[in-house]
Amino acid sequence: MSRPVGSGERSRARRGTAWPSWAAATTWAISVALGAAGLLAVAAGLVDLLGAGDDTAPLLVVGGSAGLLAAVLAVLVRPPDRIRDADTLAAVTGCLVLFIVAVAGVLLLVEPSTAPADALFRATTVATTTALEVAPVDAADHALRFLVGGAQWLGGIGALLVAVAVLPFFGAGREFADRSRRGGRRPMAPDPATAVRHLAVVHGLASAVTLAGFLVVGVAPFDAVLLAMATASTGGLVAGTDLASAAVQWVAIVGMAIAGTSLVVLWRLGVGRSRNLLRSTELQAYLGLLVVAPAAFLLWTDGSGVDGIRRAVFTVTAAVTTTGFPMAPGGTWAPAAPVLLLGLVSIGPMTGSTGGGFQILRHRILARVAVRELLRQLHPSAIITARLGGRIAAEETLARVVVTQFLFVSVLFGTAVVATAGLDLATALAASVHAISTAGPVRALDGSLVDVGAWPTTVRLALLPAMVVGRLSVYPAIVALGAGTTLVRDRVRFRRRLMAGRRRRADR
Amino acid sequence: MNPLHRLPYGDRWTSTTASVAGMALLFVALGMAVATLVAAVDGTDAVALAAATAVTAVVGAVLFHVATPGARDAAAIFSAVGTTWVAASLLGALPYLLAGTFAVAGRPWAVVLADALFESVSGFSCTGSTVFGAHNPIESHGSGILMYRQLTQWAGGMGIVVLVVMVLPSLRSSGLGLIDAESPGEGIERLTPRISTTAVRFWGIYAGFTLVVAIGLLAAGMGPFDAVAHALSTASTGGFSTRDASIGHWDSLSIEVVLVVAMLIGGANFTLHGRLVWTRRFTHHRDPEFRGYLAMVGAGTLLVTLLLVDDGMGLGRALRAAVFNVVTLGTSSGFGNATGEGSAGDFTSWASGPQMVLLLFLVFGGCTGSTAGGVKVMRLRIGISHAHRTLRSFRRPRAVLLVRHGRTTVPDHLVERIAGFMVVYGLLVVGGTMVVAALGTDLVTAMGGVIGSLGNMGPALGEAGPTASYADAYSTPARMVLSVLMLVGRLEIFPMLLMLVAPYRALDGATRGLRIRARGRLGR
Repeated sequence: MSRPVGSGERSRARRGTAWPSWAAATTWAISVALGAAGLLAVAAGLVDLLGAGDDTAPLLVVGGSAGLLAAVLAVLVRPPDRIRDADTLAAVTGCLVLFIVAVAGVLLLVEPSTAPADALFRATTVATTTALEVAPVDAADHALRFLVGGAQWLGGIGALLVAVAVLPFFGAGREFADRSRRGGRRPMAPDPATAVRHLAVVHGLASAVTLAGFLVVGVAPFDAVLLAMATASTGGLVAGTDLASAAVQWVAIVGMAIAGTSLVVLWRLGVGRSRNLLRSTELQAYLGLLVVAPAAFLLWTDGSGVDGIRRAVFTVTAAVTTTGFPMAPGGTWAPAAPVLLLGLVSIGPMTGSTGGGFQILRHRILARVAVRELLRQLHPSAIITARLGGRIAAEETLARVVVTQFLFVSVLFGTAVVATAGLDLATALAASVHAISTAGPVRALDGSLVDVGAWPTTVRLALLPAMVVGRLSVYPAIVALGAGTTLVRDRVRFRRRLMAGRRRRADR
Repeated sequence: MNPLHRLPYGDRWTSTTASVAGMALLFVALGMAVATLVAAVDGTDAVALAAATAVTAVVGAVLFHVATPGARDAAAIFSAVGTTWVAASLLGALPYLLAGTFAVAGRPWAVVLADALFESVSGFSCTGSTVFGAHNPIESHGSGILMYRQLTQWAGGMGIVVLVVMVLPSLRSSGLGLIDAESPGEGIERLTPRISTTAVRFWGIYAGFTLVVAIGLLAAGMGPFDAVAHALSTASTGGFSTRDASIGHWDSLSIEVVLVVAMLIGGANFTLHGRLVWTRRFTHHRDPEFRGYLAMVGAGTLLVTLLLVDDGMGLGRALRAAVFNVVTLGTSSGFGNATGEGSAGDFTSWASGPQMVLLLFLVFGGCTGSTAGGVKVMRLRIGISHAHRTLRSFRRPRAVLLVRHGRTTVPDHLVERIAGFMVVYGLLVVGGTMVVAALGTDLVTAMGGVIGSLGNMGPALGEAGPTASYADAYSTPARMVLSVLMLVGRLEIFPMLLMLVAPYRALDGATRGLRIRARGRLGR
């Protein structure tokens, strides 16, 4: 990963040749967020021409302006040699938050009758690919439907960018970009920029394959595009699109399974480097979950026959991949069934996919830490290492994953405490797990779908930080929060010192 | 010929596990004997208790006679401690079985057996969850059995193995390891240079504290039997009661005040109490963990009170309910002050906000070196400090950042150990919830039960509240899972998880010759 800004860079920054690390990172973040929102608005404006076209003009104007501003900002930046880790993480968070706010603004533009809080909730839920639907979308409103689908798709791409930015902190980013090629493994690309380009191509291809699948089973082209975007991004919010058909569900199952797979695995399959692919413990665990969990789920629900199996596989795949396509329970569910789904949602899919949750890689690291601790109890003086991907994992990496678990649980419980202001205990816990895992929909203890629109606005707003934290794999959001707190604290201290100095001068 | 002579390794069997378990069972038999005496006064269950005493004493004496302490490595210590607790829990169920305590009409024998085992484990592990309920009221049983229940908690509170170390000089240096494996927290602090003297002192403070609590409860208006019985389960932060409505039976503010103070003391580090008693130095206020513990309980009480008042409860009732329930769960005692279902003290009838706060207290527990269960305040503080350091390292990658506990710098190996403990704890909570839910329990009841059992709390959330019976809230297999989790939680995970390593190694060593010979034959 990048190192802190050196003294040479600082001096260059002072001369005005390069911006300081934080300034460059922040400006890029603003530029990316505005650019993405602008692009989305322009595309939605054009799509609206398929319907009434009454939103086209404002969307094109706003989107074009945002895009222009983004381009100007991107050109203005004079990049430093290196961006600090903390600035990268804070910028990623800022980018997502700004994108959410921008999308909320565009949603308000399209639907002015919506309350700002509802628009913000919808923007957050689509941009973080959480799929908690606050109100049904009008099937005739093409612009709004496309905004919902497109924001999810962009949110999925954002998740991949976060993966490239954040995974190195967990000792796993070398699969994406690594010049050293240590351990005899060939990464996806030699540098992060190339890796991002490759990821975009693979994500685009995966989306295209899913789209083709939906088209083949007879879904209307526009609906197919929206469904493909919701599936490939593990967004799961299907605005005005029907998912009732068995064939559509089978395509969605395959699409979700692909979306939950690490894009590195898909890329290796694509370029013919599939040898030893199945030796990956993470892939084995993911495929195992997709096979074993539906069987357990079927056991605890009264579904039977091909229809029952399809429903079970669909519901479980939607949970494991954190896509969250809604499906009402077909019959009676045992108490264990919703708990299983909640567990699967929090486990999540493979790292390096568009899915949310704690993700399998981190669970694997936690399992290693647990086993090591057991061995240490038996041999207190022994030096016991934990291996990841054939290499000895750095203590720092293990510590970060453990702290991530700690933060994940803390955010979950903190959100649940606030959510209990308007929900019962079980629903509050379920809502928090879903929010931080960026997966919908929330289910009651009997498996029925909970109407998020009926929740108080305060509860819905309380879920927003959890969704953002979950989408960003916890760390960037917390680091950004820390950076913000430090900034405020330093300001306060500076003002206090300033005031004290003035008082002293006045006393004299 | 004496059959014992045929045991391996000469006349006496070299086994730390058997030796420690044997002596521990003799102590358990002593507790049963005390309960037999109480039962003799009462006239009910005396024969059953006497028979249980005899069986336990014989098993304990045989094990202690044939075995001599041997290996003292970590695996042997975990095996000794884990086996001792399992053996005590198994034989501790005998009085309930022989007295037919749970043999209610219509219940199959397997359920009766499971109930007896559950109550025994709940007693020794100081959890305080019970399978008594409306179908089988506590108050319908004789004083002998009730006193026995309380005594199991008292023995489990300070630790049976600590008792063994106190009287077994042959354990020598492994005594510290044994106490360490049994005691809550990250290592114990010696009060004296000799570990056996330290054990005596710990038990001395514990017994004295119990006596003071009994006197306090008597003065507050409890009857002598109830006062002694509740003192036993208060000092141990166990939570068993001789009444169906627990402390709610008396509906007395003075009794609740005595118990709240006693529970707070029980949930604090006994080394601090020891220092106060033996060196006359009051050091509680200097201990960062104790300060954190009081701050957490105080903040929790305030928050719950505010939430209850916001929900429409009067300030006085809300404060009383909040103080008692936060302290009882924050110290892992698990008493209930509900006067009935839906009363102010029945926290399962509260709004979900204060229940959520209580759920957090189910996780944290008291201080290290106390009789309380849970993750412990010290681990939480160090965990937060560790998280803070890791996050700060992003902004200052080259800085040397330390994890601090008060003014002390925590060494990295201890930080890693605590992090590992928390990971295993979290995995057990998640895994346990899945298993208990799979056995037919809803999410909140399953999660509450698992967290409550691992933290040795007693009452849980959902259907397992302070006025509910575990027999109604959980299926029999789920109760068995919870029993295992109680022991795992009481011994702070590792001794129970690793107790089979030493027997496995012994078996592996014993059969190695056979395997080599078999391989040789196959080769020929």
